[in-house]
This record gives sequence, structure tokens and C-alpha cells, in this order.
Amino acid sequence: MRKYVSLILGLLLALSVVNLGSAQVTRPEDLKFPPLKFEPPNPANFRVVFANGLRGYIKEERTLPIVNITAIIHTGSLYVPKEKAGLDAILSECLIKGGTRTRTGSVIEDRIDFLGGTLNFSVGERTAMLSMSVLSKDLDEGLDLFFDVLMNPEFREDSLKLAKGRLIEQMRSANDNPSQVLAREYEKVLYGDHPLTYQETKATVEGITQADLKAFHAKYFFPKNIIIAAAGDFSRDQLKNKINKYASKWANKPLSFPTISKNFPQPEPGVYFIQKKINQGYISIGHLGIEDTNPDYFAVQVMNFILGGGSFTSRITSKVRSDEGLAYNTGSRFTYRWGFPGTFAGYVQTKSETVGYAISLILKEFERIRQEPVSDAEMETAINYYLESFADFFQSPIGTMVNFANLELQGKPMNYYATYRDKIKAVTKEKVLEVAKKYIHPDKMVIMIVGDWEPCNKGSDKFPGPLDRLGKVHRVKLLDPLTGQLVD
Amino acid sequence: MNFKRFVRLLFLCAFLLTFVSLASAQIKLEVKEHVLANGMKILMIPKPGVPRVVCHIYYKVGSINERPGITGIAHVHEHMMFKGTKMMGVTDYEADDALNRQIDELMDKIYREKYWKKDGDQQKIAEWQKQVDELIKAEKKYIIKDHLWETYMKNGGTGLNASTSDEVTGYYVTLPSNKVELQMLLEADRMMNAYFREFYSEKDVVMEERRLSENSPGFYFNEQVRASFYAASPYHWQVIGWMDDLKKMTKKDLIEFHNKYYVPNNAVAVYVGDFKPEEIIRLAEKYFGQIPRGDDIEPIRTGEPPQYSHKRMYGEGPGMPNLQMWFHIPPEGHPDIPALSILASILSGETGRLTKTLVQQKDVAIRAMAMARPQWYVGAFTFNVIPKMQKGVKPEDLEKDVWEEIEKIKKDGVTPEELQKAKNKTEASFVRSLESPMFLAMRVGRAELNRGWRSLLTDLEDMKKVTSDDIKKVAAKYFVKDNCLVAIYSRGQGR
Repeated sequence: MRKYVSLILGLLLALSVVNLGSAQVTRPEDLKFPPLKFEPPNPANFRVVFANGLRGYIKEERTLPIVNITAIIHTGSLYVPKEKAGLDAILSECLIKGGTRTRTGSVIEDRIDFLGGTLNFSVGERTAMLSMSVLSKDLDEGLDLFFDVLMNPEFREDSLKLAKGRLIEQMRSANDNPSQVLAREYEKVLYGDHPLTYQETKATVEGITQADLKAFHAKYFFPKNIIIAAAGDFSRDQLKNKINKYASKWANKPLSFPTISKNFPQPEPGVYFIQKKINQGYISIGHLGIEDTNPDYFAVQVMNFILGGGSFTSRITSKVRSDEGLAYNTGSRFTYRWGFPGTFAGYVQTKSETVGYAISLILKEFERIRQEPVSDAEMETAINYYLESFADFFQSPIGTMVNFANLELQGKPMNYYATYRDKIKAVTKEKVLEVAKKYIHPDKMVIMIVGDWEPCNKGSDKFPGPLDRLGKVHRVKLLDPLTGQLVD
Repeated sequence: MNFKRFVRLLFLCAFLLTFVSLASAQIKLEVKEHVLANGMKILMIPKPGVPRVVCHIYYKVGSINERPGITGIAHVHEHMMFKGTKMMGVTDYEADDALNRQIDELMDKIYREKYWKKDGDQQKIAEWQKQVDELIKAEKKYIIKDHLWETYMKNGGTGLNASTSDEVTGYYVTLPSNKVELQMLLEADRMMNAYFREFYSEKDVVMEERRLSENSPGFYFNEQVRASFYAASPYHWQVIGWMDDLKKMTKKDLIEFHNKYYVPNNAVAVYVGDFKPEEIIRLAEKYFGQIPRGDDIEPIRTGEPPQYSHKRMYGEGPGMPNLQMWFHIPPEGHPDIPALSILASILSGETGRLTKTLVQQKDVAIRAMAMARPQWYVGAFTFNVIPKMQKGVKPEDLEKDVWEEIEKIKKDGVTPEELQKAKNKTEASFVRSLESPMFLAMRVGRAELNRGWRSLLTDLEDMKKVTSDDIKKVAAKYFVKDNCLVAIYSRGQGR
């Protein structure tokens, strides 16, 4: 009986709690959340140094029977000479497919596939990554293949033939996709003729030899120029020993990286129009941006979040997409690249007749954020977004290790994450206004449009053409991607 | 809520809260299930660690639930689900509602004049449109722009998105683990109280989205290929829908669609991350539990009739040339599907048969792959090969090479190594798919709405049993000319 009473009391109590809750809470701002403390992982706790100065960030993660391992190499398309343009793409394909001294490429690929693993290599602008994922039972065999590919690639002829064939077919349609054309040509105007923008042609690709690949590999692939990231089902000490077996037999080399010019042209402001018979204009508006090591980086992030980077909460998206229904995809972005300023662009794709109007709206937002302080509510949303979503950086264990490795490779402060939230919190409205004025230059805007000239130039009621109302019109001619020569 | 019902509910919860774990040698997938009295399912996969929770909600509705005239509406509706509710996105619901009704009435008149008549009165249309523009201006003072999106963002929501497929529509956010209640409140609110503001400008956004696709090389041709392959079933049209329907669909269509499909008995919520299941269940009962159950929903009626014809299509335009060969196969869950899936794996990839013969040995193609797409109601097995134009190979030249490979399979089956490799790949990639909380939520949620999340595991077991004879049998059964569509796309003029 007594038990029964307490049961009823308990239930009544539970009932009253539920009722209290549902009676009071109706709106999101009324919700009270329990406090949440989160401290980011400290890179120092994961750092290891293997034999011969090979560095690594490794994390045991034993919930699934999988091991992920990535080697990040300081090399990339930036270091490919102009007459060998495309070498990075060929290297990406041939490092594995070209086999090693003791294994052909198909032996390696067949074996990895048979084990249900993955092994991929890709060369970026200044870093290249070899990534492998295998079941933990296959770790030893996987590591053997991984380091063989990394240390002893042979770049056999059949792999070169395949890679060149693929790249040339791909290049053939390089002017077909409007967003691809816009991205490439926008950078060409902003950076000029520079290692960041060299384009391969059929001739440069065909001229790439096995010897070129071997020399490129020999120059950049050695322990001190590489950082390993690994996470998964292994014991840290054991993995360290296993990797040391390979690293201890791998000699270092002297290497000095070339100094690459940071002088970029000052393109004449105005409209840069690329003709393509499509039903929308694909548009980028902007100029060069900043490096992510700039002390104003955090303020620029917050400013751009409000301007056009914070998706629907941002001004450009709200105006151009939500209010006016002019576009599916619109906003603004700062891109970043290691050691060079990235680009700044407002972007939109809209039907031909509203091209001028959409551009005018974006330019207005550029002006507005430079003239008036942002609102308290906008600041609150932006700052809270960065603070509250911070833990997301660390959702993936291998992703976290790769991030740490990249910080070290690029010589960035290792307390980047530890100080991240304080730096976001320190951004003020005044600072946002200051960086908007400092880094957005309405008088220097390159307005690039890929679209159909007649309807774009004609415009519509809200912004009747011609497009030279927006500045001097430059008609940009595309080059034939295979020859690198002008197309008629 | 009276006392008696509450006790019964508690009892029911205990009964339904089953802890399920299925395991094979390598594979372990643990999902906690809870079913609300209104039929809504809650699936939970706790992953302690980083204090984030992936919160997804999936509705069993997609473009296959449409019909000619309203194609694309599942996707338009997904957009409109961000346009407010009676509570969200508005400062004065009544005042805004009054304006909205006037807008809808005028738009109805405009649509009738524009789309029902051959020679509508342009002057009238312009006049009404002017009134609409005025009303839209007047409405602005009541609208809180993208309120739901902003609320999620300032609470640290990431992966914020939604997507519509042929069969399923999903709404996604990842939140700090102390804020899951926010998702429950907002999602329950928009399931129950959706209010579609700014409908007409949002349709313009969707039409821009369609134009974006149209400008991507090969879009028009692929749209036609699909429409030709699926003659009768609603897989005939793409998720984005036909432009005519996007133009002409009405607010009334949208509300009908919402009321029919956005009911708790047609939804599953999935949580993956750092949480206590008891807490999720408590909150789900509180927020989703209050939504009334809707009518049962009839499955799709129209499947594909047997083709009994050999279809061929030709097109030319920008982008890479290719040869596609499509064959009808049964849907998910059919006993032939495991063998077809394993076969697709054996044919595809960089070490697959098609790459080895067509790309490496014969050197006539640069890429070659096969895919088994069983889908929920009708399936397709597709081959896709890109010719090596440098050698003068045209897409149509490759057809005989693909048939040669098919005939080899029919006659000799596959080798034990190929079979084992495909099984290993399938199993390992399943384990890998458990790594990403977001991807995991997606797979579990989608599977749940068709054959239950356990089908992920039973399918895997079935694939492990496939033999070379099974593969020979399905190849002979499905890879025949009068079950086939051949589509040849060449580089050239045109769209």
C-alpha cells in the first residue's frame, strides 16, 4: 500500500512537471538551456615526432574497427612551372596508379579494394594529401602499401597514358560549365599571369614525362616536409612504432621553397562580360581579399557573415533571394589561400533580364555595410553562431587531426582553436564597420558576368540596361582549353 | 491530460522503448527506438564525446507523391517550410493573415486570367499585379525574415538544410547538445502550424534553381532520358519538376499537399550524438506528442509496365559525351536486388571490370561504371561510359563493348575473388558509413521510412550470400534488349 502511494505521488509529480513545462514554453526565446562547457582538444596532446623528423597528430578512437590515416605534404600546383602546367593533376592520378618499385599500380589498387579500404591522393595548391582508410585488422598491410606509395612511386608509363587521356577529355569541356568558367576567369583577372592561375594545355600535359614526376616527387616527399594525421582503432604507441619502421629508412633532403611574387595587377574596374548562350547570368563582384593570418581575420569573418556569408541571416541573401526571388544561390565570400591574399566576391546567378538589377542590389549592400554600423541583433546572431557552433570543428577525429597538422605545416599558431572564441568575442560593431571600409572597395570592383549578352544588357523594368551603367564593359574572350589560344 | 491516460502512456512508453542491437562479425549498429501515440517514430543513436547532436526529421514524401500539374511541389513545399508558422516569422499573425488572404485572392485571379485563358486581359493582370505589389509591401512590416533559420543559427545550428528526393524529404540541423529542445519546438511547430508567407517570390527562387540545373551541361538530355525510361511511374519527372508546373502551382495546392503528408504518422525523427535517450524521449513526447495523427497515406499506385520495346535516344550539347544504358530492375527488398548490387560493385570502380576492359585494355573509354538503383517502387540498373575522343571513339561505338561484358557475365558469371572483393567492399563501406553522424542519421532515417532501419543490416547479410550463379541468373533476366534504353549523348551544338 505504501509503495502504491509513493508511486502515485511520483507520477503526480512527474505530471505536474510536464504540465508546467508545456504551459509556459511556447516560443524559442523562452527556452532555458542547461549550461554547456566545452574545451577544445589541445594539439600538444596528440603530437608525435617519428624517426627522421616526420611529424604527426594521432588520436586513438576505438568505437569502430577502422583506421584513417593521412599524409599531408608541403607541395602543390604552386610549385609547378608554367611549361609543365597540369603536372599536379597527373601526379594526383599517377602516384598510386603508377605503382612502386616492387608493386604495379593495379596490384596496389586491387589489394586495397579487396580489403574494402580506400586510398586516395590529390595535389592542391600548396599541400598534397595521401589518405587511407582500412579496417583495423588490415592496418599492417595497409601501412605497407601507404608508405610504399608515399616513398617509392614509380610512375609507370601506362598510368601516365591513362591520366593524360582523362585530363585531356576533361579539358575539352572546360568552357562548358558556366560556374567553372566564372571561377577560373575571375581569378585570372584578379591575379593575372601568376603560378596561382597557370592553365594546362594539351601541349603542356603531353609534355609531362615519367622523369618529371619522379623529380617532382624526389624534391618534396621526405619526412621533414610531411605531417601525418591519424585517428582510429589502434594503440598510439603501437602505431608510432609501426610508422617509425618506415620513417627510419627515409632520408631527408635539403629543400628551399622559391619566393613567389605577391605583386598582383590592379585590374581596371568595370564589367567583364563572357558570352555564353544560357538563360542566366553567373556573376562575381569583387577584388582581392586578405590572408587568414591577418589580425583582422575574425572581424572580417563576422562582417562577411552579416553581409552575405551567413546564408539566410545575411543581408544579400535576404534581399536578393528572399525579398526579390531573384536567385537560388547568392551571398558574399572571402576565400583564403596559404601565403597569398584570397578573393572577395559577392555572387549571384539570376535570369538574364535581372542580371543588372541583382548586381545593383549587391553593390548597394557593399555600400551600406561600409557606411552604417550593423545592428545589435545582427552582431548577436553572428557572434553567437561562431561561439555556439565551435565544437563542430571537432566532430570528426581524423578531421581534427588533419586540422592540427595543417596549422603546423602552415606555421600558424597552435593555439588557434584555444583562442578562437575569445577572438570572436572581441569583435565589436565599430570593428565590423572599420574592416568593411578597409577591405571592401567599391571603386575597384570587377563585375564579372558569364551569360547571354543581349538579354543581360537589355535588363528589365527595375534595372533597364545597358550594362555599362555599372562601369566600362570589357568583353572577355575565352581561350580554347586544349590549345590555350583564342577561340573565334 | 487526465491521470489514467498518463499511466497508460507511461506503460506504453516502457513497452515501446526497446533497445535493439544487431551485430555481425564487424558490424554493430545500435538504434534506440521510441514510438509516440500519434505514430511518429523517434530513433536515437547515442555517441558520447563532442557535445553536439545531429537532429534530423524525415517525412515519407517526395516527388513520387506528385502528379502532372503539381510536379516539383514536394521541393517547393520544402522551401516553404522555412517561410514561417503561425508563431514564427511574423509579428502580428492576424494582421499578416488578412493581407495574405488578399494576396492569394488576387493571385488566383491573375493565374486564371494568365493560365486558364488563351488571350487573358493583360491590362487587368497588370492592375492586379500592382495591387499585389502594394500588399506585399504592406506585409513587410509584419514579417520577421527567415526567423527559423536565424534562430537555429544564433543557437549554433550547423548543417542547417533540407533536401527533397524522389521518396523522402529531410530537415537537418546539428545543435549543441544542450539545445535539442529547440529543434523539437521548431519542428513540431512547423509540422503543425506551417504558414506559407512569400509563396510567390519563393516560387521565383525555385525557378532560378531549375535554371541553374538547366545551365549545367547535359541536364536537358538527362531529363529526357529519365522521362523516357520511366514511362508510367512518377519517377518520370525529376524532383525539381517541370517549369510549367512551377509557374502554375497555387497556394491551395501547397496547403493540400502539406495537410496530407506533414503528419506525425508519416515522419521519423533521428538523433545522433551526445545525449541521454530518456531526455530525448521526454522532449519528443512533449513537443511531437501533442500533434494529432493524420489519415493513413496510400502508397504509390503506378509502377512501370513491362517495356517490351527497345528504346534509343540521341542528343548533343555541351559537356562530356557519354553512353548510357538503362535496364528496369525490381525495387528494394526484392530477392534479386542483392545479386544486382554485388554485380554493380564488381563492374564499377577503378579496379572494376568495366574500367579494366574498356579503359585499360581496349583504351576506348576514359571512365566506365555501373550502378544498381533499386529505389522504393521501381528500379534501374545503369551503365555509363565516357568515350576517349582523342582516339576518335564515339559514344555509340561503346555499346557493343558493354554488351560484350554483359554477355560474359551471363555466360561465365564472376570469379570468386571478384565476388569476395565486392562483399568486403560493401561491408567495409558500411562500417565507414557509421563514422559520420550526419550520414548515419540520413541512412537510418531514410531506411526507416521504407522497410525499417534494420533493412540496412539485413540487406548487408543478403549481399554476403550472393553467388556467381545468382549473378548469372539476374544478368540473363534483366539485361535484355526489350528491357533496355540506350542513350547516346555527343559533344556538339545545342543545349
